[in-house]
Amino acid sequence: MIPAEIAELRALALRSIDGATRDLITAAKTVYSTPETGFHEHKTSAFVQERLQALGFVVETGIARTGMKAVLRGAQPGPTIAIIAELDSLQVTMHPGADPETGAAHACGHHAQIGALLGVATALSAPELKGSLSGNVAFIITPAEEFIEIQDRLALKANGEIEFLSGKQEMIRLGTFDDVDMAMMVHTSAGNGSAAISVGGTSNAHVSHQVRYIGKSSHAGGAPDKGVNALQAAMLANTAINSIRETFRESDVVRVHGIITNGGSAVNAVPGEVLYEGRVRAKSVEAIAPIAERIIRCYRAGALAMGASVEVQTIAGYHALDQNPTMQKLFASNAELILGRDSVNVVEKHLTQGGSTDMGDLSTIMPVIHPYANSATGVGHGHDYLIEDYDRAVIAPAKIMTATVLDLLGNDAQLARETLSKYKPAMSAEQYVALQRDRFSAQTYNPS
Amino acid sequence: MAERANLKSSFSSAINSRSDELERIARDILDHPESGYREVRTSKIVADWFSANGLEVQTGIAKTGVIGTYDTGKPGPHIAVMGELDSLIVPGHAHADPVTNAAHACGHHAQIGSMLTTAAGLVETSIKRGLVGKISFMATPAEEYIELEYREELLAKGEIEFFGGKQEFIKLGFFNDVDIAMLTHTGGETAGTLGVGGSNNGMIGKTIQFIGKAAHAGGSPHLGINALNAAHIAIAAIHAQRETFRDADTVRVHPIITRGGAAVNSVPADVRLETYVRASNVPAILSTSEKVDRALRAGALATGAAVKISTNPGYLPAKYDPRLTEIYRHNAASLIGDDNVIELSHSSGCTDVGDVSQIISTIQPTANATSGNGHGIDYLVESYDLAVIKAGKAMGMTVIDLLADDGEKGKKIAGAFKAPMTISEYLGRMRSFRSSVTYEE
Repeated sequence: MIPAEIAELRALALRSIDGATRDLITAAKTVYSTPETGFHEHKTSAFVQERLQALGFVVETGIARTGMKAVLRGAQPGPTIAIIAELDSLQVTMHPGADPETGAAHACGHHAQIGALLGVATALSAPELKGSLSGNVAFIITPAEEFIEIQDRLALKANGEIEFLSGKQEMIRLGTFDDVDMAMMVHTSAGNGSAAISVGGTSNAHVSHQVRYIGKSSHAGGAPDKGVNALQAAMLANTAINSIRETFRESDVVRVHGIITNGGSAVNAVPGEVLYEGRVRAKSVEAIAPIAERIIRCYRAGALAMGASVEVQTIAGYHALDQNPTMQKLFASNAELILGRDSVNVVEKHLTQGGSTDMGDLSTIMPVIHPYANSATGVGHGHDYLIEDYDRAVIAPAKIMTATVLDLLGNDAQLARETLSKYKPAMSAEQYVALQRDRFSAQTYNPS
Repeated sequence: MAERANLKSSFSSAINSRSDELERIARDILDHPESGYREVRTSKIVADWFSANGLEVQTGIAKTGVIGTYDTGKPGPHIAVMGELDSLIVPGHAHADPVTNAAHACGHHAQIGSMLTTAAGLVETSIKRGLVGKISFMATPAEEYIELEYREELLAKGEIEFFGGKQEFIKLGFFNDVDIAMLTHTGGETAGTLGVGGSNNGMIGKTIQFIGKAAHAGGSPHLGINALNAAHIAIAAIHAQRETFRDADTVRVHPIITRGGAAVNSVPADVRLETYVRASNVPAILSTSEKVDRALRAGALATGAAVKISTNPGYLPAKYDPRLTEIYRHNAASLIGDDNVIELSHSSGCTDVGDVSQIISTIQPTANATSGNGHGIDYLVESYDLAVIKAGKAMGMTVIDLLADDGEKGKKIAGAFKAPMTISEYLGRMRSFRSSVTYEE
C-alpha cells in the first residue's frame, strides 16, 4: 500500500466521522447526563455496549465488573492496537452535571472519551478501512480510572469482585490486554494554551493510604480526661506531614494530600475512631517509597502523641506514564494534518502537572500514548470543569486516533512493527501484577 | 495570756524603733537583685545582719543560703521563719540589673525584710525570756525555678542536687528538727490586706533537646532533619492534650524554646525546650508528664529526629496547715483589722515552700502590697510598711503564740500535723522524678 492509498483511506474515515458528528456528540452528552463512579458504571456500560453492538461488534462485557472489549479484526494478521475510553465519572457534588443523589459528575471529561472511541469504531467498521488493516483494533472501555471511593472498592476487593482498585489495573490482571500490543486514548483538558492537542509529558505514580486512628470515646464535656481523641491524632499527623514538605525535592514532583473520611461521630463525644485517606504521589513508584515511609512516620506520630493506635493500609496506586515517542510523533503529525499547523503543543517528556492515571500502569507493559484534547473550561476535577468544544473533545480525537491506526496498521503494519521492535517494556504483565500485589501492605502501630 | 500580750507589745515596740533600717535593707536588696544560687551579695547582707544582732550564723548552705539561729536555751518547738534570697530575670524591670537582667519582680527582697523584722523584734532580751524552743531564720536561695541549664551544671558538678533552695535545705538536714515553718510572700490582691490559707500547684521541670541533622536549608533540605519542626509538632501535640486536663487538677504546661536553630540558612539540628508540668496534685503532674513526653516523642518520630527528655524534680504542691493559719489570722487581724485579712484561693503557681509543707506544719501568708503583674516588668512593692514591717510583726506574734506558755500551742500544732511524708520519703520521691531518656524511633 502506497502513501497515496492511505491518504485516500484517511479521507474516507474523516468523512465518515464528520457524517456521524451529531450522533457522536450526542452519545458523549448522554454519558455526561448519567454520571457513575468507578466499578458502578452499569448504565454507561450498557449504553456503550448497545452502541458497539449496533455497529456490528461482538462485545465482551462484565470485565472488571463494568469493563468491555470489542475487537475489530483487520484483513491481514498483525499487531493489535487498543483504543481506550474510560467509563467512570468523578464525585463533585457542586458540579452542574452532578447526579443529585450520588453527587457523581463528569468533571474530568471521560464522557468525551466514549464519544471519541465510538467515532473510531464507526469509521474503522467501514469495509474498505477494515480491509486495509494488517492487525486488529481492540476497543477497550475501562472502568474506574479515578482512584476514589477507596472504602467502597476495598469492600469489592474483600468480596473477591476485584483485586486491584482501578479498571486498567484489573484488566491487566485479568488478561484483557494479553493480546494487545499497543494502546492509545485521548483525554480532555482545560487551559493547555491555545493548541487543540497536547502530546507528551508524563504523570505521577501514586499510592493510597487508608489510615484508621483508634482512640477512646468519652463524653466531651463531662469526661474529656477519660477519652483518647483520635481526631487530634489525625490532625497532628496532618500538621506533621505539612512540616516535612520542605524535604520534598521538586524533581520528585511530590504531592501529598489527604481527606478525613470520618472525623468523629458526634460533637459531644471525644472521637474514638477517625478515618483518614491519604495519597502520596511522586514521579515514580521508586521515588514514592522513601516519602511514603516518612508520611507513615507522621501517622504514627499522631497516634503516639495522643496515646491512640493507628492502622495504616497501603493500597497500590498508579505508575508514572511513559509515552511512546514513535506513536506520539505519528499522532502529532496526524493532528497537524487534520487540525492544521500550530494545533499541537508538545510537552517535554518528563514534565507533569502532578496528576496520575492508570494509563501509566499500562505504559509499564506496552507502548502507549495519552494525549490531551484542549476542549474544556474550568479546573480539572472542579465544579466548573465543562466541555465547551465537543468538536475538539470528541470529533478531533476520533479522527486523529483513526488516522494513527491507519498509519500503524496500514502498509502491512510496517510502522506498528517498527514501533514494537524498538520498544522494551519496563516489565511483563506477570511482573506488573506481582509488583502491584507487593505494594499492598497493612500495619498497626500501638505505642502504648 | 497577759504575759503573751506583753510580749507582743514589747516585740512590736522593738520593731517600731528599727522600721527605717528594716525597710532600707529590703530596698537595698531590690536594687541589687541576684538570681538563684548566685545571691552572694544578698547572702552577705543577711549574714552580717544576723551576726550584728546576736544570732548564731551558718553561711554557704546550698551555695548561698544563710541560717541565723535564735535559741532560748529551753526545750520546746523549733520554728523556721523564712525569706527567699533570689530574684527573677526580667529585662526591662525598673530595678533590673543592667548586666544580668536580674530583677525582684516577685518581691523576695521584701521577704528578707519581713524575716529580719521578725528577728529584730524577737531578739529583745525581755521577749526571749518568755519563750521556749528555738527559731531558725532561714534565708533560702533559688526559689524561682529558672536558669535550668545553669542549675544542671551545678548538679553535674555536685554543688546542688535540687533546683530549689529549700529542697537543698531539707536534703542537708536543716529541717530535720524543725516543727513549724512560715514565710510571707508579697501579693497583689486587695491592697493593704494580708492573705491567709490557699494552696499552690506542684511541678516538675523538663529540659528537652531535639537532635536532627543539619543541611543547607535552601540547597538540600531533603538531606536534613529539622529539629525545629520536631519541636513545633511536639508543642502542637502538647496543646492537643489540653482538653484532657481536669479543672480540679489546675494543670499548667508552658514550654519555651531556648534554642531554635543556629542559622536561618541551615536546617536546625539542635533545638532545645524547657517546660514545667504543673498541677495541684502529684498524680496529675505525673500523668500530664507522660502526655507531654509522648507529645515530645511524637515530634521526633514525625520528623525522624531524636529527642532527649531530661526531667528534674520540681516543687511539690503546697498545702498550708489550717490550725497554724488560725493563729496567724488572729495576729494579722490584731494588726490590720478583721476585714483586712482575706482568704487566699488555690494558686496555680508553685513554690518550694510546698516541699516544706509536705513534711512539717507550714503557712505562707501574703502581704498584698504590690502593683503590676507578678513576674512582670511592672511588679513593684508599693507598701514596705505592710510587706516588711506588718508582715514581720504578724509572723513574730505568731511565733510568740507558739513558743510562749512553755510552747504549749507550738507543741499542739506540731503534734496535730499529719505530714504527708517523712523527710526520707520526700527525698526518695523527689529523686524518683529525675530521669533522662533519649528516644529514637
